[in-house]
Amino acid sequence: MKGAVLLVAVFVVFKFGAPLVTAPLPMSLIWLYLFLTTVGIVVYGTLSSESTEALLGPIFRFLSGEGLNGAAKFARLAVLMLVPLLVGWETYSDLVPSSQPPAENRTIHPAPPGEFVGLANPVPNTPENVMMGKGLYAAFCSPCHGPKFNGNGPSSDGFNPPPANFVDSGTIAQLQESYLFWRIKKGGVGLSVEGHPWKSAMPRWEVELPDEWIWKIIMAEYAGSGHKPRTWE
Amino acid sequence: MPSRHARLAVLAAAVAFLWGASALAQETAVVRVKLIQGDVPTDPLAPVWNTTPATEFPMSPQVHWPKRILQVTVKSIKVRGVHNTKQIAFLLEYADPTQDPADAAALEFMVGDKKAHFAHGQPMAQVEGGPVNIWYWRNDTPGAADMNAKGFGTLKKQAQQDVQARGVWKDEKTKVRFKERKLILRKDAKGEPAKDPKTGEPLFDEETKVVEQDATGVWHVVFTRALTTTDPNDAQFQLGTFPNIAFAVWDGKKLESGDLKESGSQKAVTSWWYFNAEPPTNYSIYLYGLIAVVVAAGVEYVIIRKVRKGQPA
Ligand code: HEC
Repeated sequence: MKGAVLLVAVFVVFKFGAPLVTAPLPMSLIWLYLFLTTVGIVVYGTLSSESTEALLGPIFRFLSGEGLNGAAKFARLAVLMLVPLLVGWETYSDLVPSSQPPAENRTIHPAPPGEFVGLANPVPNTPENVMMGKGLYAAFCSPCHGPKFNGNGPSSDGFNPPPANFVDSGTIAQLQESYLFWRIKKGGVGLSVEGHPWKSAMPRWEVELPDEWIWKIIMAEYAGSGHKPRTWE
Repeated sequence: MPSRHARLAVLAAAVAFLWGASALAQETAVVRVKLIQGDVPTDPLAPVWNTTPATEFPMSPQVHWPKRILQVTVKSIKVRGVHNTKQIAFLLEYADPTQDPADAAALEFMVGDKKAHFAHGQPMAQVEGGPVNIWYWRNDTPGAADMNAKGFGTLKKQAQQDVQARGVWKDEKTKVRFKERKLILRKDAKGEPAKDPKTGEPLFDEETKVVEQDATGVWHVVFTRALTTTDPNDAQFQLGTFPNIAFAVWDGKKLESGDLKESGSQKAVTSWWYFNAEPPTNYSIYLYGLIAVVVAAGVEYVIIRKVRKGQPA
């Protein structure tokens, strides 16, 4: 019971508490924390010898089948029959040629090259500059990333992975402006070795846009998505 | 209190399950290339296609590099595939209301083990990529072009041509499914356009829905090739693996200006997806499954005997 309360508490703290002090956490990270908490609870529960007995005793009684009757007896038989079948099924499905492509767990935010770390936006954050950034965004970025900054642009459907959703708390809300500068300048082909599987349609904008425009677009992305760039101070 | 542990175990299982489910959430689409007996069809209307499942891929206007295009005719493409362990055939089907000499379609594959970028295998900054193999068909040119590229402007026809293609346009009815997006100006309580209180910019809402539209006119285009060739410039395919595949389509309609509606880099595209050439069934797998059942039952028997003999610490 205490364990369940702890899990809920962890969820609430990370989901609703964290955004008060830092950028909201993506859901996958929260699941990771919950998973680790669960492991902790189980390990804690098996630490002392009484609690181990409490955990294992019923299992041994169940296995030996002594003193069981009625529904419990039936359940035991069912479990004993099910386990070998499950093992057989596992073996079969391990050997059968996979019907799904190999998982390509994309590293969404690989480390940027050194020269792109800690750059400050040299363009002053004035309404005029943000406005100009929004115009450039509309012209160059919105076909993929969408007029509402949510990745739902009219040209987004054919691309896998899909264009980033800047409104989601897992993209630019997690990043510093200098990181965006790198990603926009170098695009999908600029991703590092960890950034596999290198299937990104994100263009390499350095061939078309001057740096100053890119910095203005970055301000527009934050203004338009309602997030603030991450800072380390 | 054992029930507490039982509850915990259930909770742990639930968390682990959700954890796994969230990792699987990314969608993958695969062209299932079915194993058939006999010759693979070179006819786009061959009956075997009616019994072959199709995978549908949404297409984007090519906005990745200049010259871009913001509107294209073909919004999605249906792809089927069959093979007979020697030859492979892909059928592309898509709605295009007019049959034009410059209508064209292409398939793209990675060559060799290195990853290649879907945009003509353009070089990657920090990763050594490989070339792409492009199979190109155009309505006014019989057959197909078997091509290679490694970077923009490097596309060229190979010395050894291994691909065949045939297209048939039919004046038939079809349905096209795609996502339709609308921006709607937001109105305030008085029915006036709502403005952002900080910037004074007009506010708008977005409406996205999947629509199904009637269309007339369908291209059926078949590409065929041997699964493996002797040309090192070609992509080579092994049964049971998941090679990458990408698609491109051009509506070659002539506009009043005399220009083609779509040509060159102005086309409908996808980035990489997968295909899988079905391997022949291997019956020994069933035997291994059976052996596993027997072994597991044996182990269970031994454990129960042990537990019954004396409760271990
Ligand atoms: C052809 C479609 C396309 C266009 C046009 C495009 N992008 Fe992207 N962009 C993508 C895709 C796909 C991704 C996700 C994959 C990746 O991270 O590379 C992405 C990712 C990004 C990211 C990384 C977000 C993150 O969380 O890591 C930034 C920043 C970005 N785009 C900015 C821009 C800007 C600014 C422009 C316009 C100058 C632009 N994009 C135009 C397709 C596009």
